[in-house]
Amino acid sequence: MITAHRLTKTYGDRTAVDGISFTVEPGRVTGFLGPNGAGKSTTMRMVLGLDRPTSGSVTVNGRRYADFPAPLREVGALLEARALHPGRSARDHLRWLAASNGIPRTRVDEVLDLVGITAVADQRVGRFSLGMGQRLGIAAALIGDPPVVVLDEPVNGLDPEGIRWVRTLARDLAAEGRTVFVSSHLMSEMALTADHLVVIGRGRVLADCSTAKFVAQHAASHVRVRSPQHDEVATLLRHRGLDVAAHGGELRVRGLGPAGVGELVGRSGLLLHELTLVRSSLEDAFMTLTADSVEYAGASR
Amino acid sequence: MTAVGTHAWTRVETAPPPGATAALRAEWVKFWTVRSTPWSLTAMFLLGAGLTTLVCALSAGALARGDVGEPVGAFVTWGIVFAQVTAVVLGALVVTSEYGTGMIRATLAATPRRGAVLAAKAAVLTSTLFVAGTLTALAGYLGGNWFLDREGIGLALTDDGVLRSMVGSGLYLAGLGLFAAAVGLLVRHTAAALAIVLGLVFVVGNLVMVLPGAWGEWATKLMPGNAGSAIATPQSFNPLLLDPWVGFAVFVAEVAVVLAVAAAVFARRDA
Repeated sequence: MITAHRLTKTYGDRTAVDGISFTVEPGRVTGFLGPNGAGKSTTMRMVLGLDRPTSGSVTVNGRRYADFPAPLREVGALLEARALHPGRSARDHLRWLAASNGIPRTRVDEVLDLVGITAVADQRVGRFSLGMGQRLGIAAALIGDPPVVVLDEPVNGLDPEGIRWVRTLARDLAAEGRTVFVSSHLMSEMALTADHLVVIGRGRVLADCSTAKFVAQHAASHVRVRSPQHDEVATLLRHRGLDVAAHGGELRVRGLGPAGVGELVGRSGLLLHELTLVRSSLEDAFMTLTADSVEYAGASR
Repeated sequence: MTAVGTHAWTRVETAPPPGATAALRAEWVKFWTVRSTPWSLTAMFLLGAGLTTLVCALSAGALARGDVGEPVGAFVTWGIVFAQVTAVVLGALVVTSEYGTGMIRATLAATPRRGAVLAAKAAVLTSTLFVAGTLTALAGYLGGNWFLDREGIGLALTDDGVLRSMVGSGLYLAGLGLFAAAVGLLVRHTAAALAIVLGLVFVVGNLVMVLPGAWGEWATKLMPGNAGSAIATPQSFNPLLLDPWVGFAVFVAEVAVVLAVAAAVFARRDA
């Protein structure tokens, strides 16, 4: 379990993480979601004791990370940037990690196998593709067989096969009862992987709920209606108690499916030019939620 | 969704906690699994032992005739001046390569006690440089002295200061490497660390000699490269320098101060 309490990090007068509190429970995948620059990596670095919180605290199973005598056996982490020396082989990278925490050397071969890079284990990691580097990073995270696993943007740079592999791995780790905390800026990916979501923007928690609840709340759908008799149709549907919003020449109707809307309009003898079910994607929901908190918004054209 | 947070993950076997030497073993593996280490040490040996031998071979005749106004003892560790560069490079890289690659985060995630990380790095670096530096000096002496012996001006290992200069070369190069590592920890950048340390030893150390009067004399004596290097040669080219062990004590104190500052900054800084 990871517990953050009023965790804050400021750099000069810029606040990267602004008093966030959340709990990451064992036995499920918790997605840590936010646009780039929202404070995800800073938070994760504070979890690992790499950055010192300006105020507040974060603990893993009740202890500060730095207080663990063998932290790799308690928390495994994949860091966002590749924390690797390009001149060292994958096997040697895992060997020093194992040595640092008194982990048996046999575990090196186990995790190489687990992530499927045994064949290239003796190559220098500078020659690795992004995907292989990411697999090595995950091997490093799992070397201590830790009850808590923290993955910062694990699918970055992976091909679809690799993405599915990470997704399955995260779910398997959680199914074993481990605490799994995965950051991403991709809502669609988190919807498939995470049981629970902590959404942040501009260093604040915007949502902390189950993925199912988040989807139900934010991924709304509506029926788009276009008609030459725009006003009459709007009046008719409103009289039936439906939520109707006019956007230029179209009406957005909530509360009834396209079939029902079509029948109502047809029975009144009004004309329709368009009747479409519009599902707003999770990505849209995420964008809407975080719209005010995007650090580097592109200029709209 | 059902409550899933109830069953805690349990480890099958519990390994004993890592001993105090775990960080040391990790740094040892790291040190010997990058190519810069064997390269630097090979370069140290070739420059240190090779140039000493070459210079002795070229100057033996002139030295024997008394044409050179320099002591013979200054020649048998001549190459150590150049071997210094490799010790500085190795020392700086031990720290700065981790910052350049982001490795430092993996290191500190594995060993959050930063004092332990620094102590382990220092131990691995200085022990290696001490052994390599001593062997380099010894090989250079054996090679160079062979030519000096042929002219009848060779020095025995038991002659005044000869054995001390062999061990002293190891000590000086170890100290210099540690100095570079400390500067590297402060600036976190390979090129900057190399420029500062090499500039201080090779450029500033010689420039201060032109300062007038007692100022120049003492600045020359106290510059780290000047104070520390006297121990690495039986007799120095520069008569101004402090006595070998006094100079080395000054050098050690200087390195200790820079290392202490670096350690304090390292302990507080975000990785």
